[in-house]
Amino acid sequence: MHETRPAKITSPIVSLSDGYARTIPVALIVAAVGIVLSFILLQGPERFLYSYLANFAFLLSICLGCLFFVIIMHLTRAGWSVTLRRIAELYAMCTPYMAILFLPILVTTLTGSSYLYPWVDGGWSIHGGGDALASASVDQLPPLEQLKASFLNPTFFAARWVVYFTFWGVAAAFFLFTSLRQDKEGGIKLTHRMQAISAPALIAFAASIVFASFDLEMSLDPFWFSTMYPVYFFAGGVLSALATITLTALWLQRTGRVTDEITIEHYHDMGKLMFGFIVFWGYIAFSQFLLIWYANIPEETFWYDIRINKVGWKTLSYILLIGHLFIPFLAMMGRTVRRSKTFLSVATVYLLIMHWIDHFWLVMPHYANAPGGHLREGVVTTSFFYFLGDVACTVGMIAAFIAIFCLVARSRPLVPLQDPRLGECLNHEVH
Amino acid sequence: MAEKSNNESKEQELVGLLAQFDDPETLVHACNEARAAGYTKMDAYSPFPVHGIDPAIGIKRSILPFIVLSVALGAVVLGLGIQLYANGQDTFWPFPGYKFLISGKPIFSIPANIPVTFEIIVLSSAFATFFGMWILNKLPRFSNPLHRVSRFKRVTNDKFFLMLETADEKFSRSVSEGQLNDWGAVAIDEVNQDLTDTELPKWLATVGILGAIMLMLPPAAIFSQWGMTNRLPRLHVVPDMDWQHKSKTQTMAANLSNELDGVSLMYEDLRSARRPVDGAIAFGSLDIDSELSYGIKSDFAYTITSGGNALTRAEDTDKADKKEEKEEKDGDAVAPAEEDNLEKYVTTLPEGFQLTEEILDRGQQRFEIYCAACHGYAGAGNGLVNQRAMSLAATGAATWTSARSLHEADVKDDAKNPVGRIYDTITNGRGNMGPYKAQIPVQDRWAIVAYVKALQETGIQSDVPVAADDDAEENQEQNQEADEKQEL
Amino acid sequence: MTTVDPQSLDNTYDDASQRTPLVLGGLDYEGVTDTACGFWEADSAPKIWWILLGLAISLLMLLGGLIQHLLFAGVGVWGNNNPAYWGWPIVNFVFWVGIGHAGTLISAILFLFRQNWRTSINRAAEAMTIFAVVCAGTFPGIHIGRVWVFYWLFPIPTEHLAMWPNFRSPLLWDVFAVSTYATVSLLFWYMGMVPDIATFRDRTKSKIGKIIYGLLSLGWTGSARNWHRYEIAYTLLAALATPLVLSVHTIVSFDFAVSQVPGWHTTIFPPYFVAGAIFSGFAMVVTLLVPARELFGLQKLITLRHLENMNKIIMATGLMVGTAYGIEFFIAWYSGVPWEAFAFWNRAFGNYWWAYWIMVSCNVMIPQLFWFKWCRTTPWFMVIVCIFVNIGMWFERFVITITSLCRDFVPSSWAYFTPTWVDLGMLIGSFGLFFTLFLLFCRFMPVIAMAEVKGIMPRDDH
Repeated sequence: MHETRPAKITSPIVSLSDGYARTIPVALIVAAVGIVLSFILLQGPERFLYSYLANFAFLLSICLGCLFFVIIMHLTRAGWSVTLRRIAELYAMCTPYMAILFLPILVTTLTGSSYLYPWVDGGWSIHGGGDALASASVDQLPPLEQLKASFLNPTFFAARWVVYFTFWGVAAAFFLFTSLRQDKEGGIKLTHRMQAISAPALIAFAASIVFASFDLEMSLDPFWFSTMYPVYFFAGGVLSALATITLTALWLQRTGRVTDEITIEHYHDMGKLMFGFIVFWGYIAFSQFLLIWYANIPEETFWYDIRINKVGWKTLSYILLIGHLFIPFLAMMGRTVRRSKTFLSVATVYLLIMHWIDHFWLVMPHYANAPGGHLREGVVTTSFFYFLGDVACTVGMIAAFIAIFCLVARSRPLVPLQDPRLGECLNHEVH
Repeated sequence: MAEKSNNESKEQELVGLLAQFDDPETLVHACNEARAAGYTKMDAYSPFPVHGIDPAIGIKRSILPFIVLSVALGAVVLGLGIQLYANGQDTFWPFPGYKFLISGKPIFSIPANIPVTFEIIVLSSAFATFFGMWILNKLPRFSNPLHRVSRFKRVTNDKFFLMLETADEKFSRSVSEGQLNDWGAVAIDEVNQDLTDTELPKWLATVGILGAIMLMLPPAAIFSQWGMTNRLPRLHVVPDMDWQHKSKTQTMAANLSNELDGVSLMYEDLRSARRPVDGAIAFGSLDIDSELSYGIKSDFAYTITSGGNALTRAEDTDKADKKEEKEEKDGDAVAPAEEDNLEKYVTTLPEGFQLTEEILDRGQQRFEIYCAACHGYAGAGNGLVNQRAMSLAATGAATWTSARSLHEADVKDDAKNPVGRIYDTITNGRGNMGPYKAQIPVQDRWAIVAYVKALQETGIQSDVPVAADDDAEENQEQNQEADEKQEL
Repeated sequence: MTTVDPQSLDNTYDDASQRTPLVLGGLDYEGVTDTACGFWEADSAPKIWWILLGLAISLLMLLGGLIQHLLFAGVGVWGNNNPAYWGWPIVNFVFWVGIGHAGTLISAILFLFRQNWRTSINRAAEAMTIFAVVCAGTFPGIHIGRVWVFYWLFPIPTEHLAMWPNFRSPLLWDVFAVSTYATVSLLFWYMGMVPDIATFRDRTKSKIGKIIYGLLSLGWTGSARNWHRYEIAYTLLAALATPLVLSVHTIVSFDFAVSQVPGWHTTIFPPYFVAGAIFSGFAMVVTLLVPARELFGLQKLITLRHLENMNKIIMATGLMVGTAYGIEFFIAWYSGVPWEAFAFWNRAFGNYWWAYWIMVSCNVMIPQLFWFKWCRTTPWFMVIVCIFVNIGMWFERFVITITSLCRDFVPSSWAYFTPTWVDLGMLIGSFGLFFTLFLLFCRFMPVIAMAEVKGIMPRDDH
């Protein structure tokens, strides 16, 4: 039997220390350069905004996944994950800062240009978007754009996003600051409070995810709809959040900022959770696909049609299927791999790349297949500059995200210092 | 002191020493001590899996997960294979598959085949897990010397045991007992293997064979009837299914009414399917060109009936026969049956028919195949069939209406017998002559009509060529045929 | 730290500094065995058990008689007709399969999530799964018309049929899914019971009992080497059963969702159905266990905290179901598809409005009572709520199936479906089948997973 560890953090205060102060300006400069470069290489806002949106969605899903992680760990009174929770709380707190990154998208929409979302100005349904016009067969109905205008209009859109970011910000702030307060005060009262709030927070979170996913990505083609979409967004987001938390923990341990507070048992459990969510993501993705494929209704299938039957996209779809589902499934199945830090480092980076591809795959096809008859040039491989532009945008956005994280993390402790379940966490053993 | 087990048999062999402990911690401690002391052949027994025992005894991780993984991978192939076999092909003998054509989905469509494949993977893996685990555990094992130790009954309740086996090198009766006491054992028992009970009872074989035979009887009885016929009437287990309360087509209508009403049948004419209304056209036989297909002017196309089924035709024929019988009895010659309206027939060859010399030759060929048997090669009504039939009718052995000579006045008359009516005669028959619609296609029928008119024009009534001046005759024939073409 | 009276039976307090005890009353290992075996070891079952069994058997006979009537008279004895070709039989099937899922969730998924409180309830819940799947399986089994050629559903080469099942049909996926689910649940349930049957073998006083329990326990000795492989197998089966339980109700939802019928064809059906299944299943577990713990004296093992945790899961899954209702409703409008929008308007305000509002009140509104601690920790009250939940879930399947069929694309085929007495009788009779099996199980098999409960009890140096 192993020795029982004392229920407290014994290493010196664990935080980013001064590293953050040096990182932030560098990251911000890289971000600015990347984004501006991307704007130039992609030749203007129209194409740039799609790349920007794909990256933004990717990063937002990570933040929201981390918020979910925090909420669910409180709701289930989990003890094993205590030392990992602070990392998730910090990432969740990045969400309100993501509102700044959301501004380009919001401003574009509010100024009435339909570079990104076709529903911003009218006329998207009269010209017909492929074969998806539902109202064409029923003469008495008004065109779709009129039917949906009460929801898909810039004002309501902006109002909704204000609500989302407010809620996410308040929730993330609540959990982070209460947890930080507990670092000083200790005790169980604050834990009970966080537990009590976690239940209604989860309900509001679910509602916000539903409409945020509709607004962010599904309305890129206002003809299409799928009730499964929020679940799909959620599944991918939680998976990449788990990967991000694990990767961050590994990095923090490697650079000595966190020592034995996070043990191999924690990584094993994170590996298990990631495996579970890989399967869950695959299940959701397949269900959505199968139902639309099987019923074969053109107003739904065209969305998959542009992703599967066009040459370049077909390859990417297969990469997504095999690379996001089959390979990680086989790779993360075993006990040994879940307990290897090296392997997990590689695996989490791989999963994040795959999740990025997922959002790219969700967003980009709508650039070339916009309703309203805009026939635009191809997406990535038509020109090397477009490819560079996408890379620049991605690098810039990730740098911005790192800057935000460092700003949030500052010199705050990277593990909860006085959580009542620390004892259980530090002695945690997976059989 | 160790207690002997409650086995009364004389032949026993010591298998090991069983020590009882009262809590799991002591047991784990003892196991660690035993392993440190060099014991390898030992086992611990507990009511629940005790955390820490595995390393204490030195249990290596089982290979069961790998067995299950390989079975799962095989099941992927099995699942897809079953579906490929059953739905993806239909040529494999002796049990070909069946290709369903459903809503345009590909015959072997991977997305639709995933759910069943997944279930087969789970099922196979579950079987591998379940049976693999029991097999690896060497269970069921109903005969175990441990069960003869009465104290051992507590192992499934709240006591913990450690057994050191005699097979181990370090084992020695007294030393091991002392060690176990040192390690905290509450009680120690001998575990003895009973050597006498190793044979199966003799009656087992008899029962087994009898049982096997009994089990074989029902399938043997069933299969003995396979491929045989049976004269006994069927057993009707589900009468509602065998005599269903509905009317099937082309059978007599079922008795669907309440007997108390007194109305015994659904339809008076006993049919369960209604006849098509007049004007109903068989599927695929909608002819817009009534002139070409029926010889009837388009204004009168409404008079075209469906042609009917066998019953209809039989009735029409019956009516016609009755009429003719009546007329025969009345002594009149059988005149062309009175038509309701001769005007409906076309008087010239229809536009859909182009008359050329080749077609006229074809008409001649067709005439000689289908018509000459009764009407004769020159249309004079002296075909061999007609001659034979007339001779039989003369003796009273058959009834026969003579095939008409095509050169008779009212057959040649364009007013009484326009070309459309000739076409109609070929198509639908007339009097005793049956319809040739099924045998002769439309174009050929018109070709025959043209040839008939040619014969009538030439007036040739003998099919034996006149001896002298053949060329002149032939030329005359050809000229007249050419005139005929122009006329028509 | 909260100081706890060791004899208190209320462990529903929240204290983040310690894990609440899950075995109360100061029971040790032997106490657990004695408590769990108490009902089984009793010389004769209490009168109430006999009365309940008699009631259940009479309902079972009702079911049997009606099935016989169905086989001889044909499917016309049901209300199924144009256009509602899927009537109560499908609704009952989905209802019972859904109930079955809670057992597997408790056994497998809660095991993978290391929720130790599952150990007191998982055996009864798994048994409930088996019996619910038996009830579920009878409905598709008898609805095929010519029941005697049921084997045509399986890919067996038969010369006289010269045809194979259509593997692309969700109805055939159902055959595979439910059979696999029944088989795997049975394997998992039996495997879990072997150590406890061994306990019975060692405690039984009857000779027949010794033989039967001896055979069934396969000679289990509790050997650590055996436990090692057993635990691995248990984890593997749990890991297999988890996607299985998700897939089974997903495939059941595919029966509806792959079609083009408005109200049926919506992509969220799979997780929505699974959440609904867990919802109704847990409600049934609570409904069964609250009387059972009173009747069999299991309050120290199936504690108020166990019940409270189950109620929380009921709340969570109920809210998932409610969220799915909301998403469906929103997308029905957002899609701009008039038939879809009508389908949902019709559910709430059409001729089946009464069924819809029963569904919403029972599934969404009534479970909200569990926000209040008193409601979720008072046994008799939670049974009432859970019965309403089950009623609501039956009506959900009814609303989905019938309203969409009775108001589909072509108004000339609209109708009002009415069930027949056979429909009603079979639903009631299926409860008879379920309860007969469950009552017999309680009397003759281990109701509590004693080995697992002992395994989670605190040890001195843990």
